[in-house]
Amino acid sequence: MLPYIVKDKADNILNYVVGAFEGGFAILDKDLHILWANEKLADMLNIGYNPVGKICREVYRCECKDDTSCSVMQALSSGQKQVSETRLITEKGERRYVQNITTPLKDEHNNITHLLKFSIDITAQEEKIHQLSLLRKLAELTQGTLQIDKLLHLILTCVTAGSALGFNRARLFLVDKERDIIYGTMAVGPSSMEEATKIWSEIARKYEKLEDLIKASEDNYRDDTPLHMITRLMAYTLSDEKETLVKCIKTKKPILEKNAYSSPGMDRNFVTMIAANEFVCVPLVVKDEPIGVICADNYYSLKPITEDRVQLLSTFANHAALAIENADAYKKLGEKVRQLKDTQERLIRSERLAVIGNMAAYVAHEIRNPLVTIGGFARSILRASQQGDQAKQNAEIIVEEVNRLEKILANIMDFSKPVESVKVTSQINELLENTCSLMDPYFKNSRIELTRKFNSMIPGIVIDPTQIKQVFLNLIKNAVESMPGGGSLLLETSLEDEHIKINITDTGEGMTAEIMQNIFVPFFTTKVDGTGVGLAVSQKIIDDHGGYIKVKSSLQDGTTFSIYLPI
Amino acid sequence: MKTVLLVEDDKNQLLLYKQELSQEGYNIITAQDGQEAMKRVNEQFPDLIVMDINMPKMSGIESMSKILEKHKKIPIIINTAYSSWKDNFMSWSADAYIIKSSDLTELKNKIKELIG
Repeated sequence: MLPYIVKDKADNILNYVVGAFEGGFAILDKDLHILWANEKLADMLNIGYNPVGKICREVYRCECKDDTSCSVMQALSSGQKQVSETRLITEKGERRYVQNITTPLKDEHNNITHLLKFSIDITAQEEKIHQLSLLRKLAELTQGTLQIDKLLHLILTCVTAGSALGFNRARLFLVDKERDIIYGTMAVGPSSMEEATKIWSEIARKYEKLEDLIKASEDNYRDDTPLHMITRLMAYTLSDEKETLVKCIKTKKPILEKNAYSSPGMDRNFVTMIAANEFVCVPLVVKDEPIGVICADNYYSLKPITEDRVQLLSTFANHAALAIENADAYKKLGEKVRQLKDTQERLIRSERLAVIGNMAAYVAHEIRNPLVTIGGFARSILRASQQGDQAKQNAEIIVEEVNRLEKILANIMDFSKPVESVKVTSQINELLENTCSLMDPYFKNSRIELTRKFNSMIPGIVIDPTQIKQVFLNLIKNAVESMPGGGSLLLETSLEDEHIKINITDTGEGMTAEIMQNIFVPFFTTKVDGTGVGLAVSQKIIDDHGGYIKVKSSLQDGTTFSIYLPI
Repeated sequence: MKTVLLVEDDKNQLLLYKQELSQEGYNIITAQDGQEAMKRVNEQFPDLIVMDINMPKMSGIESMSKILEKHKKIPIIINTAYSSWKDNFMSWSADAYIIKSSDLTELKNKIKELIG
């Protein structure tokens, strides 16, 4: 037992030490009631009452899974000093990380009488570590996506996901160098407070892991939300350096606007479109080249945007920019490959057509000569034989068959014949009209109701009118033949991407995918008396004109042939 | 009786034409290539020539131009399986261009039109 005076001094020193200690300090009894606590503890746990007399767990609100991760329980059972780290949610709803050191105090019989609990707030360090691992995860996620639309959506989802960067709304703007503008590309976020509350509670309930949330948001992605549509309307010229987005691009630095509504330098139009008093813009920079801006706000929660968050968002934006660049390069590569494939296919086709043409011409001539002889003699027999004679009947059959073969040969020779084209400026509408009037009796006979929808604005183009008319005739004839019981035929002309588009739509039988694959192959036919050259010739003609033909068909519903001719 | 010279390398076809045109009341003489055709023209002075184009030794086009050098007035009908020669100016000096068919009506009509 210390003399009274010494004990008093020691108390002072102890008080001094405890006061200097940057953390919570509490003495508990064996039943875990708090007997004494320093003021810092109440600050650290953000409680507005005196913790003395309360149970430890009520005050600290630790999220310990079981007794083994609780330093107090461990110290009590082991009799040794115990250290643990734990996450807790304060009464005010803030997340804190705390390190607890609990030391048992014993009497002379070595029985535990009290427990000393030190607690240090390690939230800042934990958040840093959490942020770093989060950034690594986000970077992995974004680098793994090469489809540009999917990637942009993923990026914005990361910005808005509570378990990631946690902003309420995010918009993405991209630079278009050719047009010298920055324009709104995509936006993610709820459209109303109600929706926001619903979404967030749903998210918290359903998706614990970021990956799951991203997967779900991908499935639910909608491009008709008001936020997205407003964002799509936003575009600013890169020379207008007063614009916030342009400033962000030019300085390549984040802009945190705390009070947009009363800031005099702000463009009113931009503020109206953004519709938030506080927002942050961070640039997307690749190899020192700005390619866009991410703009985020806490419109619903009104939670202030801290420098810390801005920093995190900027770091994420760097990863995102790299991913966008990759995806863009990938997309361009894909386009080039497709173009190359297209050209190659066209080359192969025209080569194949030429070979087939030469072969067909050779075979046709070789066959035609003996056919003349066979048919000629058969006719001679036919004339010499008597009515009712078996020979007369047989000769008739030979003549008929030879006629059929000669017709096919004539068709093939048409196909293989090299054509010299005579190109003049022509009006497609006139040409179509002309073809229709030519076929008018045919339409009537076949009970076809004809509808014309011609765009009068389409310009004259340089084509071989005879050849193009041949194409119209072939396609229209096919359309009519696909409607043996009659039907309606729609002829449309329109402008599309530097091309005149001519649609020929029937309400006929349609085609299977298998037939569609082969319709342009020379000599492929589904008709009993067809030669299979009509569409092949048509395609060759359109090819020669630098255009192309597209086909859409579904069984029962009919077929649409679309001819594209360059202007 | 008018004499028609048939120039054709295909024996069977030649036989067909000979039969058919004889029935129409013409005197038929034949040749199986361009050279033989020139010889026949010089010896027998036919009233009309029906000429194939693709033949061995001398083509119908070549022999036609040689014949026309000497006998400017003799009518010539080109009778061929090839439609492509029709657009070639070498064949334009012929009086008619017929694409071979087992139906000889067109050929017969043309001959009648030219020499009766």
